[in-house]
Amino acid sequence: MGLRWFHYVLWGGLISGMFLLPQVVSNGTLRTMIFANYLAIFAISWDVLSGRTGYVSFGHPFLIGIGAYTTAILTKRFDVPVEISIPVAVVVTMIAGLLVLLPALRIRGSYFALVTLAFMELLYQLVQVIRPDLTGGTRGMSGIQTLTRGAANGYYLSTALMLSVAVSMWLLMKTRIGTALAAIGMNEESVRGSGLSTTRLKAFAFLTSALIAGLGGAFYVHYLGSLAPRALFDINFLFTIIVAALLGGTSTIIGPMIGAFFMTFLLEYLRPVLPGAERYFVYGAIALLLYMYQPKGLVELAQRGFQRLRKGGLA
Amino acid sequence: MLQILIQGLLLSGLYALIAMGFTLIFSIGRVLNLAYGAYLMVGGYMYFWVSQTLGMPKLMGVAVAALLGVLMGVLKYRLIVKTLKGDHVAVEISTLILAVVIQAGIVLVFGDSSKILLPIVPGVINVAGASVTYNILIATLISWAILLGLYAFVRLTHTGRAMQAVSMDAKGAAISGIDPDRINLITWGISGALGALGGVFFASYTQLSPSMWVAPLIISVAVVIVGGIGSIIGTLVVAHIVGFLEVIVVATLAPELRGVFTMLLIIGVLVTRPQGLFGREEL
Repeated sequence: MGLRWFHYVLWGGLISGMFLLPQVVSNGTLRTMIFANYLAIFAISWDVLSGRTGYVSFGHPFLIGIGAYTTAILTKRFDVPVEISIPVAVVVTMIAGLLVLLPALRIRGSYFALVTLAFMELLYQLVQVIRPDLTGGTRGMSGIQTLTRGAANGYYLSTALMLSVAVSMWLLMKTRIGTALAAIGMNEESVRGSGLSTTRLKAFAFLTSALIAGLGGAFYVHYLGSLAPRALFDINFLFTIIVAALLGGTSTIIGPMIGAFFMTFLLEYLRPVLPGAERYFVYGAIALLLYMYQPKGLVELAQRGFQRLRKGGLA
Repeated sequence: MLQILIQGLLLSGLYALIAMGFTLIFSIGRVLNLAYGAYLMVGGYMYFWVSQTLGMPKLMGVAVAALLGVLMGVLKYRLIVKTLKGDHVAVEISTLILAVVIQAGIVLVFGDSSKILLPIVPGVINVAGASVTYNILIATLISWAILLGLYAFVRLTHTGRAMQAVSMDAKGAAISGIDPDRINLITWGISGALGALGGVFFASYTQLSPSMWVAPLIISVAVVIVGGIGSIIGTLVVAHIVGFLEVIVVATLAPELRGVFTMLLIIGVLVTRPQGLFGREEL
């Protein structure tokens, strides 16, 4: 798989750094980092599908919402223990991913994005009307069992989850499957021409993405303890996920992570200066400019800067 | 029954006007302008600001909204779509980001709470037991007039025929001496004006709020997808399908389900007939 010594050093450094962090920073910062962790999970999930294969999904809140709602309904309404409800939620999300996949096998480009967007809006409207005694209707649910108490524990759990997702996806992308997925993004026809089944590869990417989304959504709702349809199936939520992945840099693992942390902390630091929705104005403007002029994101910018420094040092 | 018919006709006329600007862009540039809903929102708010906050004449408000729509369309073509050189996915993502930015800008200027527009033309008329406000009646009549005018413009004028040519084949049009860039610019301007005008009427039909752009965008998407790419007649027909579907669902099932069938229609048609019900036509 081409693992080199510096890979171990960098991942080891990141993992130990993140787990030592609670000794240094305040609880408030930790709570922000928990949100950044979950956003990173969602952004990685989006990137596995859309960043690699080029099939842009506007429906990721659909997958995350299904994971979140399944485990919330199971634990709250049917008293199912969390150990069972979270795996069930992940499986249900993957089945829902298959539902999105069926049309996706026929259509691509703009139309695929629209189908996923339509699925998200469909679920948003249905969840409020169908069986409101289960879903909590428009107001959603509160008092859902939480897994951890205190900022530090929540941080450890979310960090462990995020890092294990990141490392396993990074390893997966190092394999031949990862290479093939990235190749689909460049030219689907030539991948098919090389004798690979693009249908199977796309199905794999979808299911992986749905798995991560369901896992993230389920743990997220057990951290928050509440959920509401407008908070989940929302274009702003979709925007946050996509922009986190794009800002950091798609088709990388570290990119969505950096993007998620950058985004969460920027929004947090803007809070005293600009309370309310104005932060999205500044944030969106930055995201739009960066996307227009450097679609590959912060990772690419950093790499270029690094190369320039090295060249400058030699000359 | 008669009430459903009247309500359906009125709503569908409005939807046809809203969807038309979106259709034009999709037909000429093959790009989905996901910030289209934001045009409607800005148009509605602009009308509100000019006519209700400043107290200027209502026609002035409509004119300012339409002009701002043209400006937004032209700017967006110049600054975003042309820079991205027709990369469709990139245009969609950046217009989605732009829509969120505009939404945040609206909150910044006008605040979070929703606002009620005074009717553009006050008064109510009774038609067969159904009370119809003059406001929506006028909106429907105006949107029919605009649609007919647009149809004539596209069919009869030189610029309109150049638009048809570009939508069929941009390279071929360029060889025949048409400047596709200029035609694109004109189309984006017209689309912006249609969006802003539709927004004024849509806002007076519902209300002004910073999240009002999502519903008309979904409706436009549905009309374009189901009607086949960019035909004016297809747009008109499907706007009536969507409008009547909504009115019938609200009247017979439940008001909360009003959008569900629109979404099912989008998904169903995309999966079974990606070319749309009416096939591929040029304008």
